[in-house]
Amino acid sequence: MSAPLPQPDPTIATGPTSDQQVAQPRAVRTLPFWANPRFGLLIVIAVLVVVFSSLRSSFLNVDLTIVPMQADLSVFLVVGLAQLAVLSLGHMNLAVPRMAAISAFVMGWCYQHLSVPLWPGLLIGLAVGATVGAAAGWIITTTRVNSFVVTLALDFALVGLVSLLYSGVGDGVAFNVHPAGMDSLRTDTFSDYCMGNLCGPPVPLIVPIAVLAAIVVGLLFRVSRVGREILMTGSNLRAAELSGIPTSRRIIQAHALSGLLSALAGFLLAINSGAFSADIGSSFMLPSFLGPVLGGTLLSGGAVSVLGTVLGAALTEVIRTGLNLLQFSVQQLNIYIGVVLVVALSLDRVRQVVAERRGSRS
Amino acid sequence: MRICKSSTRSMALVAIALSVTLAAAGCAKKSDAGTGAAQSNTLSPAKVKIAFVPGGAHPYFQPWKNAAQQAKTDFGLGGVTYNETAGWDQTKQNNLLQSLAAQGYNAFGVFGVSPDNINSTFSDLAAKHLLVASLGSCPAGTTDAASFCLATDVETAAYQAAKTAIQQMGGSGNLVHLTGNKTDSNTQRRIAGVQKAVAETNGKVKLLQTVTDIDTDLQTAQKAVTDLLAAKGTQIKAIVNTAYNPAVASASAVKQSHLPIKVIAIDDDPTIIAGIKDGSVAATVVQNPVGQAYVGAYGLMKLAGGCTMTTPGVDIDSGSFVVTKTNVATYDTQREAKTTQLKADFDSKYLSCK
Repeated sequence: MSAPLPQPDPTIATGPTSDQQVAQPRAVRTLPFWANPRFGLLIVIAVLVVVFSSLRSSFLNVDLTIVPMQADLSVFLVVGLAQLAVLSLGHMNLAVPRMAAISAFVMGWCYQHLSVPLWPGLLIGLAVGATVGAAAGWIITTTRVNSFVVTLALDFALVGLVSLLYSGVGDGVAFNVHPAGMDSLRTDTFSDYCMGNLCGPPVPLIVPIAVLAAIVVGLLFRVSRVGREILMTGSNLRAAELSGIPTSRRIIQAHALSGLLSALAGFLLAINSGAFSADIGSSFMLPSFLGPVLGGTLLSGGAVSVLGTVLGAALTEVIRTGLNLLQFSVQQLNIYIGVVLVVALSLDRVRQVVAERRGSRS
Repeated sequence: MRICKSSTRSMALVAIALSVTLAAAGCAKKSDAGTGAAQSNTLSPAKVKIAFVPGGAHPYFQPWKNAAQQAKTDFGLGGVTYNETAGWDQTKQNNLLQSLAAQGYNAFGVFGVSPDNINSTFSDLAAKHLLVASLGSCPAGTTDAASFCLATDVETAAYQAAKTAIQQMGGSGNLVHLTGNKTDSNTQRRIAGVQKAVAETNGKVKLLQTVTDIDTDLQTAQKAVTDLLAAKGTQIKAIVNTAYNPAVASASAVKQSHLPIKVIAIDDDPTIIAGIKDGSVAATVVQNPVGQAYVGAYGLMKLAGGCTMTTPGVDIDSGSFVVTKTNVATYDTQREAKTTQLKADFDSKYLSCK
């Protein structure tokens, strides 16, 4: 699910892929389906799954591999969506980790000290994340300072704030409270719930939350006016302003969405790990970019791919799990993750170039 | 948000998916019998495969490798592995543990990345009938979901280190504490240990500064120590270190600066031991990583064989020893004796075997 803006040059070689919405002249030649970057990612994932499962049959172990992989993928999908929300503008949000951390602190504090139930607590955390994100967007639009600088500074400020809050207002470095429903959400899969003899699939309960987030973000950019205006703003700020789009408002809204999704990612990680702690989000930076960028979201803005983000996050998760099962050493693991990612991206690029050449000959 | 008409079908699909999800959530839940139960079948040592999983790559854990192999030989274990790829990330460590379980490892010696979350990881492993010991670090709080924790009592070790520093300072002056990640509850315990020793001086010793988050790597620690000495070097009478990288950095920085600062280090890195011998390091507090891995493997093997813990989740101090110039040649004998004693204690105190 993706939605780039109309291309200024209708003869551009890299035409639209099947899951992109492009409002441009019909004369543009459409590339074959296999030239779609998402299709390439899917093939790479499928090949890796076959390779890893043939080398280690335990790769297909449902309880020890498939279920944990889905739970982690849910977190990193939402982390990727948080970054995607601002990549749509051509911006970056380097404060995704700490927006997750500050929201997780507020949620944990509410659960621990106010005995707030699980879902209302999540809503409070989402509100905090959205507010911090909106503040970042407001600073960017007001000062016209690059989003990289603003969010980097915000991240530094929040690192200190989170640490102070946990040591001052909190109880050390974590809230270990488990509100009703949290343990089920963490440990259960749908296969634990049955209607007669019919039980659900081995899918963790947190997966639908991430899927719902992906669908909502996808719909926002695909069909809503706000989403398309955000993309237009990311594609060409000046053109968007001249078209009557309230660009400042759209920038603030995109950053608020990024903050909200960061908060959701923090919540999901806290559920997975079992505590709302100060280190929530500390590992989010790289995955926040990996998923969207591997999936075809442009760093320059104007085009996003939610489906690509799902596949990009899935690719990194498959690689890490597979290499874990092959018991690589820490040095080998880092080398091979890098090599596999470069090979995957290179093959994807080769496939795209071949498709373009074939398209230009026909 | 204004939605185009063409989205109606998509929205309907979302609504259906949600309804199915909610309906599924409303179904009856299967019985939880067995969750959290200990391993029911007894295993001979040859069928016990133990994975040693530190929080990440760190010199402290390197002795675990040889100790694990020694345990395999001495106890006739089916297999041991050492995997440090968790990268100081609790999520990665959880994945790693699941991967190792999928490969047939049925007992785990784990240094949890996050002491605040690690009980959830231990509970997950126990629910899958896998044995787990917390090695090198105990979970935060008063409960331990592992069968046992065999680790340095970090607060006591920090207290010992600070007391040694105060003694070396002559009982008065300014002390600085260099340590690790502030958001780690073990660091909070170390800070508490140092503060306790300082409080006992009734104001004669002042804790000038506690510098946290400098154990990520040696370069970070070196920069922090250089900055500290440039700003306050002349005011400081002693530096107490409760993390590895700051210890190595402060030992060499103080030596180079020729300042009359007493350095109390931690662990027995060759740089530290050389510093003790040449007098640039006043003392170091060494821990017992070999004992943690070796005796931890012994305890796990006995539990797999049908023994039970007399007190499940008990915290056992693996020992910490103050090393100065006087005992630098003999401290390892003391440490080996502690390991032998710990193994005997497992048989006599901690385990109940029929």
